[in-house]
Amino acid sequence: MDYGLQGKVAVVSGASRGIGKAIAATLASEGASVMLAARTASDLDDAAAEVDALGDGRVETMAADMTNPAEVELVVAAARARLGAVSIAVSNVIGHVIDVAKEGEGPGAGNFASMPAEEYRREFHHLLVSAWALAHAVLPDMRASRWGRICNIGSGVAREPATNLPHVLPNVVRPAVAGLYRMMANRLAGEGVTVNNILTGSILTARNLSYWEWLANERGSTFEEVTAGFHSQIPLRRQGQPAEMAALVAFLCSEAAGRITGQSIPVDGGISRHL
Amino acid sequence: MDFGIAGRTALISDDDFGRALRRALEPEGVTITHELGDGVDIVVAHDSAPSGREVLAVQSAKQLDAAWDVVVDTIGAYRAALPAMAYRGWGRFVWVGTAAAKALDADDDEVGALTSMAVMALNKVIAAEAGPANVTANAVLRGGPATEDDVAAAVAFLCSEGAGYLTGVTITIDGGVGSAMY
Repeated sequence: MDYGLQGKVAVVSGASRGIGKAIAATLASEGASVMLAARTASDLDDAAAEVDALGDGRVETMAADMTNPAEVELVVAAARARLGAVSIAVSNVIGHVIDVAKEGEGPGAGNFASMPAEEYRREFHHLLVSAWALAHAVLPDMRASRWGRICNIGSGVAREPATNLPHVLPNVVRPAVAGLYRMMANRLAGEGVTVNNILTGSILTARNLSYWEWLANERGSTFEEVTAGFHSQIPLRRQGQPAEMAALVAFLCSEAAGRITGQSIPVDGGISRHL
Repeated sequence: MDFGIAGRTALISDDDFGRALRRALEPEGVTITHELGDGVDIVVAHDSAPSGREVLAVQSAKQLDAAWDVVVDTIGAYRAALPAMAYRGWGRFVWVGTAAAKALDADDDEVGALTSMAVMALNKVIAAEAGPANVTANAVLRGGPATEDDVAAAVAFLCSEGAGYLTGVTITIDGGVGSAMY
Protein backbone atom coordinates (compact mmCIF):
# COMPACT_ATOMS: atom_id res chain seq x y z
CA MET A 1 0.00 0.00 0.00
CA ASP A 2 1.19 3.48 -0.80
CA TYR A 3 1.12 5.37 2.49
CA GLY A 4 1.37 8.70 0.69
CA LEU A 5 4.32 9.86 2.76
CA GLN A 6 6.56 10.90 -0.15
CA GLY A 7 7.82 14.39 0.55
CA LYS A 8 6.30 14.63 4.04
CA VAL A 9 8.53 15.97 6.80
CA ALA A 10 8.66 14.08 10.11
CA VAL A 11 10.23 14.86 13.48
CA VAL A 12 11.00 11.84 15.68
CA SER A 13 12.32 12.15 19.22
CA GLY A 14 14.38 9.48 20.97
CA ALA A 15 15.44 8.60 17.43
CA SER A 16 19.04 7.51 17.97
CA ARG A 17 18.22 3.93 18.90
CA GLY A 18 15.55 1.37 19.65
CA ILE A 19 11.95 2.19 18.88
CA GLY A 20 12.59 5.79 17.80
CA LYS A 21 15.24 4.74 15.29
CA ALA A 22 12.99 2.04 13.88
CA ILE A 23 10.18 4.59 13.41
CA ALA A 24 12.52 7.03 11.68
CA ALA A 25 13.72 4.21 9.42
CA THR A 26 10.21 3.10 8.47
CA LEU A 27 9.04 6.65 7.75
CA ALA A 28 12.17 7.24 5.65
CA SER A 29 11.63 4.06 3.67
CA GLU A 30 8.12 5.33 2.85
CA GLY A 31 9.69 8.43 1.36
CA ALA A 32 9.43 10.93 4.22
CA SER A 33 12.22 13.31 5.16
CA VAL A 34 13.06 12.86 8.81
CA MET A 35 14.58 14.99 11.57
CA LEU A 36 16.07 12.68 14.17
CA ALA A 37 16.35 14.17 17.66
CA ALA A 38 17.93 12.62 20.73
CA ARG A 39 20.33 13.60 23.48
CA THR A 40 23.56 12.03 22.21
CA ALA A 41 25.07 13.45 19.00
CA SER A 42 27.35 10.48 18.26
CA ASP A 43 24.47 7.96 18.47
CA LEU A 44 22.41 10.23 16.23
CA ASP A 45 25.08 10.25 13.53
CA ASP A 46 25.13 6.44 13.42
CA ALA A 47 21.35 6.26 13.32
CA ALA A 48 21.13 8.90 10.59
CA ALA A 49 23.53 6.96 8.38
CA GLU A 50 21.33 3.86 8.70
CA VAL A 51 18.09 5.75 8.11
CA ASP A 52 19.47 7.78 5.22
CA ALA A 53 20.25 4.63 3.25
CA LEU A 54 16.58 3.59 3.24
CA GLY A 55 14.69 6.18 1.24
CA ASP A 56 14.65 9.12 -1.12
CA GLY A 57 13.85 11.68 1.56
CA ARG A 58 16.47 13.66 3.38
CA VAL A 59 17.65 12.96 6.92
CA GLU A 60 18.77 15.56 9.45
CA THR A 61 19.75 15.27 13.09
CA MET A 62 19.85 17.52 16.12
CA ALA A 63 21.09 16.71 19.61
CA ALA A 64 18.52 18.00 22.11
CA ASP A 65 16.81 17.29 25.38
CA MET A 66 13.24 16.69 24.21
CA THR A 67 11.87 17.12 27.74
CA ASN A 68 12.83 20.80 27.52
CA PRO A 69 10.19 22.76 25.55
CA ALA A 70 12.72 25.41 24.46
CA GLU A 71 14.93 22.74 22.87
CA VAL A 72 11.93 21.08 21.27
CA GLU A 73 11.11 24.41 19.60
CA LEU A 74 14.67 24.58 18.26
CA VAL A 75 14.45 21.06 16.83
CA VAL A 76 11.18 21.79 15.07
CA ALA A 77 12.48 25.12 13.75
CA ALA A 78 15.56 23.33 12.39
CA ALA A 79 13.39 20.67 10.73
CA ARG A 80 11.26 23.36 9.13
CA ALA A 81 14.31 25.31 7.92
CA ARG A 82 16.25 22.33 6.56
CA LEU A 83 13.47 19.99 5.38
CA GLY A 84 10.26 22.01 5.08
CA ALA A 85 6.98 22.41 6.96
CA VAL A 86 6.51 19.58 9.46
CA SER A 87 3.53 17.28 8.97
CA ILE A 88 4.43 14.24 11.12
CA ALA A 89 5.61 14.23 14.74
CA VAL A 90 6.41 11.20 16.87
CA SER A 91 6.99 11.85 20.55
CA ASN A 92 9.14 9.08 21.96
CA VAL A 93 10.54 9.97 25.37
CA ILE A 94 10.82 7.38 28.11
CA GLY A 95 10.43 8.06 31.81
CA HIS A 96 13.31 9.44 33.78
CA VAL A 97 15.96 7.13 35.12
CA ILE A 98 16.68 7.91 38.74
CA ASP A 99 19.85 5.91 39.19
CA VAL A 100 21.36 3.92 36.31
CA ALA A 101 23.75 2.11 38.63
CA LYS A 102 20.89 0.94 40.82
CA GLU A 103 18.13 0.26 38.37
CA GLY A 104 19.62 -0.02 34.91
CA GLU A 105 17.98 2.04 32.19
CA GLY A 106 14.43 1.10 33.05
CA PRO A 107 11.75 3.45 34.26
CA GLY A 108 12.46 5.08 37.61
CA ALA A 109 11.95 2.10 39.88
CA GLY A 110 9.90 2.13 43.01
CA ASN A 111 6.51 1.54 44.51
CA PHE A 112 4.10 3.99 46.06
CA ALA A 113 5.48 3.59 49.56
CA SER A 114 9.09 4.23 48.53
CA MET A 115 8.81 6.91 45.83
CA PRO A 116 9.17 10.57 46.95
CA ALA A 117 6.33 12.79 45.75
CA GLU A 118 8.64 15.15 43.85
CA GLU A 119 9.79 12.33 41.53
CA TYR A 120 6.28 12.41 40.04
CA ARG A 121 7.00 15.93 38.86
CA ARG A 122 10.19 14.88 37.09
CA GLU A 123 8.31 12.02 35.46
CA PHE A 124 5.58 14.47 34.42
CA HIS A 125 8.21 16.53 32.61
CA HIS A 126 9.70 13.49 30.89
CA LEU A 127 6.45 11.99 29.71
CA LEU A 128 3.73 14.62 29.55
CA VAL A 129 5.52 17.93 29.08
CA SER A 130 7.68 16.40 26.33
CA ALA A 131 4.62 15.10 24.46
CA TRP A 132 2.83 18.43 24.86
CA ALA A 133 5.89 20.43 23.77
CA LEU A 134 6.39 18.49 20.53
CA ALA A 135 2.71 18.74 19.57
CA HIS A 136 2.65 22.44 20.49
CA ALA A 137 5.73 23.13 18.35
CA VAL A 138 4.53 21.31 15.22
CA LEU A 139 0.86 22.33 15.27
CA PRO A 140 1.25 25.70 13.50
CA ASP A 141 2.65 23.93 10.39
CA MET A 142 0.00 21.21 10.50
CA ARG A 143 -2.91 23.57 11.01
CA ALA A 144 -1.67 25.81 8.20
CA SER A 145 -1.60 22.88 5.75
CA ARG A 146 -4.65 21.15 7.28
CA TRP A 147 -2.72 17.89 7.36
CA GLY A 148 -0.89 16.44 10.31
CA ARG A 149 -0.09 13.20 12.12
CA ILE A 150 0.97 13.23 15.77
CA CYS A 151 1.80 10.01 17.62
CA ASN A 152 2.98 9.44 21.15
CA ILE A 153 4.93 6.34 22.07
CA GLY A 154 3.15 5.64 25.32
CA SER A 155 2.87 2.50 27.36
CA GLY A 156 0.32 -0.18 28.13
CA VAL A 157 0.31 1.09 31.71
CA ALA A 158 -1.66 4.11 30.45
CA ARG A 159 -4.67 1.80 30.44
CA GLU A 160 -3.68 -0.93 32.86
CA PRO A 161 -1.24 0.10 35.60
CA ALA A 162 1.49 -2.55 35.98
CA THR A 163 1.08 -3.04 39.70
CA ASN A 164 3.21 -6.20 39.59
CA LEU A 165 6.29 -4.16 38.61
CA PRO A 166 7.97 -1.25 40.44
CA HIS A 167 6.56 1.19 37.90
CA VAL A 168 4.66 3.63 40.06
CA LEU A 169 5.93 6.67 38.10
CA PRO A 170 4.82 5.63 34.60
CA ASN A 171 1.73 4.00 36.11
CA VAL A 172 0.59 7.38 37.38
CA VAL A 173 1.76 9.69 34.59
CA ARG A 174 1.15 7.67 31.39
CA PRO A 175 -2.67 7.81 31.66
CA ALA A 176 -2.50 11.60 31.78
CA VAL A 177 -0.45 11.63 28.55
CA ALA A 178 -3.05 9.42 26.87
CA GLY A 179 -5.71 11.84 28.07
CA LEU A 180 -3.79 14.86 26.81
CA TYR A 181 -3.50 13.39 23.31
CA ARG A 182 -7.12 12.25 23.32
CA MET A 183 -8.31 15.75 24.14
CA MET A 184 -5.97 17.28 21.55
CA ALA A 185 -7.43 14.85 19.02
CA ASN A 186 -10.96 15.98 19.89
CA ARG A 187 -10.04 19.61 19.35
CA LEU A 188 -8.11 19.03 16.11
CA ALA A 189 -10.45 16.58 14.42
CA GLY A 190 -11.88 19.19 12.08
CA GLU A 191 -8.49 20.39 10.92
CA GLY A 192 -7.03 17.32 9.25
CA VAL A 193 -4.69 16.61 12.14
CA THR A 194 -4.83 13.20 13.85
CA VAL A 195 -3.40 12.51 17.30
CA ASN A 196 -2.88 8.95 18.52
CA ASN A 197 -1.11 7.09 21.29
CA ILE A 198 0.66 3.73 21.19
CA LEU A 199 0.32 1.44 24.21
CA THR A 200 3.75 -0.16 24.06
CA GLY A 201 4.24 -3.64 25.47
CA SER A 202 7.55 -5.41 25.97
CA ILE A 203 9.66 -4.49 22.93
CA LEU A 204 13.14 -5.90 22.44
CA THR A 205 15.49 -2.91 22.77
CA ALA A 206 18.81 -2.40 24.51
CA ARG A 207 17.02 -0.46 27.20
CA ASN A 208 14.46 -3.20 27.66
CA LEU A 209 17.21 -5.82 28.08
CA SER A 210 18.93 -3.61 30.60
CA TYR A 211 15.68 -3.38 32.53
CA TRP A 212 15.18 -7.15 32.72
CA GLU A 213 18.77 -7.57 33.87
CA TRP A 214 18.17 -5.06 36.62
CA LEU A 215 14.90 -6.70 37.67
CA ALA A 216 16.52 -10.17 37.77
CA ASN A 217 19.25 -8.80 40.00
CA GLU A 218 16.70 -7.02 42.19
CA ARG A 219 14.72 -10.24 42.65
CA GLY A 220 17.77 -12.45 43.15
CA SER A 221 16.81 -14.33 40.00
CA THR A 222 18.36 -14.79 36.57
CA PHE A 223 17.66 -12.87 33.39
CA GLU A 224 16.37 -16.06 31.76
CA GLU A 225 13.99 -16.86 34.62
CA VAL A 226 12.57 -13.36 34.82
CA THR A 227 12.07 -12.97 31.08
CA ALA A 228 10.71 -16.50 30.63
CA GLY A 229 8.23 -15.87 33.43
CA PHE A 230 7.10 -12.64 31.84
CA HIS A 231 7.04 -13.82 28.25
CA SER A 232 4.99 -16.88 29.12
CA GLN A 233 2.17 -14.45 29.94
CA ILE A 234 2.27 -12.88 26.47
CA PRO A 235 -0.21 -14.64 24.17
CA LEU A 236 2.25 -14.44 21.26
CA ARG A 237 4.98 -15.87 23.56
CA ARG A 238 7.64 -13.39 22.51
CA GLN A 239 8.66 -9.79 22.81
CA GLY A 240 7.92 -7.39 20.00
CA GLN A 241 10.52 -5.95 17.67
CA PRO A 242 11.06 -2.19 17.28
CA ALA A 243 10.06 -2.57 13.62
CA GLU A 244 6.67 -3.85 14.78
CA MET A 245 6.13 -0.62 16.70
CA ALA A 246 7.23 1.34 13.66
CA ALA A 247 4.79 -0.57 11.46
CA LEU A 248 1.78 0.73 13.40
CA VAL A 249 3.18 4.26 13.70
CA ALA A 250 3.83 4.48 9.95
CA PHE A 251 0.32 3.21 9.22
CA LEU A 252 -1.19 5.82 11.56
CA CYS A 253 0.85 8.47 9.73
CA SER A 254 -0.41 7.32 6.37
CA GLU A 255 -2.99 8.99 4.15
CA ALA A 256 -5.22 5.93 4.60
CA ALA A 257 -5.37 6.34 8.40
CA GLY A 258 -6.68 9.89 8.21
CA ARG A 259 -9.88 9.04 10.05
CA ILE A 260 -8.18 7.29 12.97
CA THR A 261 -7.70 9.78 15.76
CA GLY A 262 -7.79 9.99 19.54
CA GLN A 263 -6.96 6.30 19.85
CA SER A 264 -4.68 4.39 22.20
CA ILE A 265 -3.63 1.21 20.42
CA PRO A 266 -1.57 -1.58 21.99
CA VAL A 267 1.45 -3.21 20.34
CA ASP A 268 1.93 -5.81 23.05
CA GLY A 269 1.58 -9.36 21.73
CA GLY A 270 -1.89 -9.52 23.26
CA ILE A 271 -0.94 -9.19 26.93
CA SER A 272 -3.36 -6.40 27.80
CA ARG A 273 -6.76 -7.59 29.01
CA HIS A 274 -9.05 -4.68 28.31
CA LEU A 275 -11.63 -4.85 25.54
CA MET B 1 -27.26 3.05 57.50
CA ASP B 2 -24.54 2.96 60.12
CA PHE B 3 -21.28 3.54 58.25
CA GLY B 4 -19.31 1.95 61.09
CA ILE B 5 -16.68 4.66 61.19
CA ALA B 6 -17.48 6.32 64.53
CA GLY B 7 -14.23 7.30 66.20
CA ARG B 8 -12.28 7.53 62.94
CA THR B 9 -10.42 10.73 62.06
CA ALA B 10 -10.66 12.27 58.58
CA LEU B 11 -8.30 14.79 57.01
CA ILE B 12 -10.37 16.96 54.70
CA SER B 13 -10.03 20.35 53.04
CA ASP B 14 -11.12 23.56 54.74
CA ASP B 15 -13.32 24.94 51.96
CA ASP B 16 -16.86 24.69 50.59
CA PHE B 17 -16.47 21.06 49.64
CA GLY B 18 -14.82 20.30 52.99
CA ARG B 19 -17.84 21.79 54.74
CA ALA B 20 -20.21 19.60 52.71
CA LEU B 21 -18.11 16.58 53.61
CA ARG B 22 -18.08 17.59 57.27
CA ARG B 23 -21.89 17.60 57.17
CA ALA B 24 -21.81 14.03 55.85
CA LEU B 25 -19.10 12.63 58.14
CA GLU B 26 -19.69 14.26 61.53
CA PRO B 27 -23.10 12.62 62.06
CA GLU B 28 -21.27 9.28 61.58
CA GLY B 29 -19.10 10.09 64.58
CA VAL B 30 -16.02 10.95 62.51
CA THR B 31 -13.57 13.51 63.89
CA ILE B 32 -12.59 16.13 61.33
CA THR B 33 -9.09 17.56 61.03
CA HIS B 34 -7.32 19.82 58.56
CA GLU B 35 -3.85 18.85 59.80
CA LEU B 36 -1.97 15.71 58.86
CA GLY B 37 -1.14 13.62 61.92
CA ASP B 38 -0.54 10.02 62.94
CA GLY B 39 -4.15 9.56 63.98
CA VAL B 40 -5.58 10.12 60.49
CA ASP B 41 -7.65 7.16 59.22
CA ILE B 42 -9.24 8.85 56.21
CA VAL B 43 -7.70 11.28 53.72
CA VAL B 44 -9.93 13.04 51.20
CA ALA B 45 -8.21 15.16 48.56
CA HIS B 46 -9.69 17.04 45.67
CA ASP B 47 -8.59 18.72 42.47
CA SER B 48 -7.76 22.41 42.12
CA ALA B 49 -10.19 25.05 41.00
CA PRO B 50 -10.83 24.62 37.25
CA SER B 51 -7.96 25.92 35.14
CA GLY B 52 -10.41 27.13 32.52
CA ARG B 53 -7.90 25.88 30.00
CA GLU B 54 -8.26 23.65 26.94
CA VAL B 55 -5.16 21.60 26.17
CA LEU B 56 -4.58 23.51 22.94
CA ALA B 57 -4.59 26.78 24.88
CA VAL B 58 -1.61 25.71 26.99
CA GLN B 59 1.31 27.95 26.10
CA SER B 60 4.02 26.89 28.54
CA ALA B 61 5.25 24.01 30.65
CA LYS B 62 4.73 26.30 33.64
CA GLN B 63 0.96 26.15 33.10
CA LEU B 64 1.09 22.34 33.04
CA ASP B 65 3.27 22.32 36.16
CA ALA B 66 0.78 24.47 38.02
CA ALA B 67 -1.95 21.95 37.24
CA TRP B 68 0.30 19.08 38.36
CA ASP B 69 0.94 20.62 41.81
CA VAL B 70 -2.21 19.06 43.22
CA VAL B 71 -1.07 15.57 42.19
CA VAL B 72 2.28 15.99 43.92
CA ASP B 73 0.61 17.46 47.02
CA THR B 74 -1.94 14.65 47.15
CA ILE B 75 0.74 11.99 46.81
CA GLY B 76 2.70 13.72 49.59
CA ALA B 77 -0.31 13.64 51.92
CA TYR B 78 -1.18 10.03 51.06
CA ARG B 79 2.39 8.88 51.64
CA ALA B 80 2.58 10.67 54.97
CA ALA B 81 -0.66 9.07 56.17
CA LEU B 82 -0.13 5.52 54.89
CA PRO B 83 2.37 4.09 57.43
CA ALA B 84 0.12 4.77 60.44
CA MET B 85 -2.94 3.46 58.55
CA ALA B 86 -1.07 0.30 57.62
CA TYR B 87 0.09 -0.12 61.23
CA ARG B 88 -3.50 0.08 62.46
CA GLY B 89 -4.76 -2.09 59.58
CA TRP B 90 -7.41 0.37 58.35
CA GLY B 91 -7.38 3.33 56.01
CA ARG B 92 -9.34 5.16 53.32
CA PHE B 93 -8.07 7.45 50.58
CA VAL B 94 -10.66 9.22 48.44
CA TRP B 95 -9.91 11.58 45.56
CA VAL B 96 -12.58 13.95 44.24
CA GLY B 97 -12.06 15.04 40.65
CA THR B 98 -13.86 15.85 37.45
CA ALA B 99 -16.00 13.48 35.37
CA ALA B 100 -14.08 14.79 32.36
CA ALA B 101 -11.29 12.42 33.43
CA LYS B 102 -13.44 9.57 32.09
CA ALA B 103 -15.42 11.19 29.31
CA LEU B 104 -12.58 13.52 28.19
CA ASP B 105 -15.25 15.97 27.13
CA ALA B 106 -14.45 18.93 29.38
CA ASP B 107 -15.71 22.17 27.93
CA ASP B 108 -13.08 24.35 29.49
CA ASP B 109 -11.01 22.40 32.01
CA GLU B 110 -9.22 19.76 29.96
CA VAL B 111 -6.02 20.38 31.91
CA GLY B 112 -7.85 19.53 35.15
CA ALA B 113 -8.95 16.19 33.70
CA LEU B 114 -5.31 15.13 33.38
CA THR B 115 -4.74 15.32 37.13
CA SER B 116 -7.72 13.10 37.89
CA MET B 117 -6.55 10.51 35.33
CA ALA B 118 -3.23 10.37 37.15
CA VAL B 119 -4.82 9.93 40.57
CA MET B 120 -7.21 7.25 39.27
CA ALA B 121 -4.14 5.32 38.14
CA LEU B 122 -2.43 6.04 41.45
CA ASN B 123 -5.44 4.46 43.17
CA LYS B 124 -4.82 1.22 41.28
CA VAL B 125 -1.22 1.19 42.52
CA ILE B 126 -2.22 1.91 46.11
CA ALA B 127 -4.98 -0.70 45.85
CA ALA B 128 -2.35 -3.32 44.98
CA GLU B 129 0.24 -2.17 47.50
CA ALA B 130 -1.89 -1.22 50.50
CA GLY B 131 -4.79 -3.64 50.02
CA PRO B 132 -3.13 -6.28 52.22
CA ALA B 133 -3.05 -3.69 55.03
CA ASN B 134 -6.80 -3.06 54.60
CA VAL B 135 -6.24 0.41 53.15
CA THR B 136 -8.39 1.37 50.14
CA ALA B 137 -7.97 4.12 47.54
CA ASN B 138 -10.90 5.27 45.40
CA ALA B 139 -12.18 8.26 43.45
CA VAL B 140 -15.40 10.17 43.03
CA LEU B 141 -15.79 12.19 39.84
CA ARG B 142 -18.29 15.00 39.75
CA GLY B 143 -19.98 16.25 36.64
CA GLY B 144 -23.19 17.69 35.28
CA PRO B 145 -25.53 19.05 37.92
CA ALA B 146 -23.98 17.23 40.91
CA THR B 147 -24.03 19.29 44.10
CA GLU B 148 -21.31 19.24 46.74
CA ASP B 149 -23.70 17.35 49.04
CA ASP B 150 -24.26 14.70 46.32
CA VAL B 151 -20.52 14.23 46.00
CA ALA B 152 -19.91 14.29 49.76
CA ALA B 153 -22.46 11.49 50.23
CA ALA B 154 -20.55 9.24 47.82
CA VAL B 155 -17.24 10.10 49.46
CA ALA B 156 -18.68 9.29 52.89
CA PHE B 157 -19.91 5.94 51.57
CA LEU B 158 -16.43 5.11 50.24
CA CYS B 159 -15.06 5.89 53.71
CA SER B 160 -17.53 3.50 55.34
CA GLU B 161 -16.85 0.04 56.72
CA GLY B 162 -19.26 -1.41 54.15
CA ALA B 163 -17.17 -0.07 51.27
CA GLY B 164 -14.17 -2.06 52.48
CA TYR B 165 -14.08 -4.32 49.40
CA LEU B 166 -14.03 -1.41 46.95
CA THR B 167 -10.54 -0.28 46.06
CA GLY B 168 -9.00 1.20 42.93
CA VAL B 169 -12.48 2.11 41.71
CA THR B 170 -14.07 5.32 40.48
CA ILE B 171 -17.67 6.41 40.98
CA THR B 172 -19.05 9.15 38.74
CA ILE B 173 -21.69 11.47 40.23
CA ASP B 174 -23.12 13.39 37.30
CA GLY B 175 -26.87 12.90 37.25
CA GLY B 176 -26.42 10.54 34.31
CA VAL B 177 -25.27 13.11 31.79
CA GLY B 178 -21.90 11.46 31.02
CA SER B 179 -21.50 9.20 28.00
CA ALA B 180 -18.52 7.08 29.08
CA MET B 181 -19.53 3.45 29.73
CA TYR B 182 -16.36 2.56 31.64
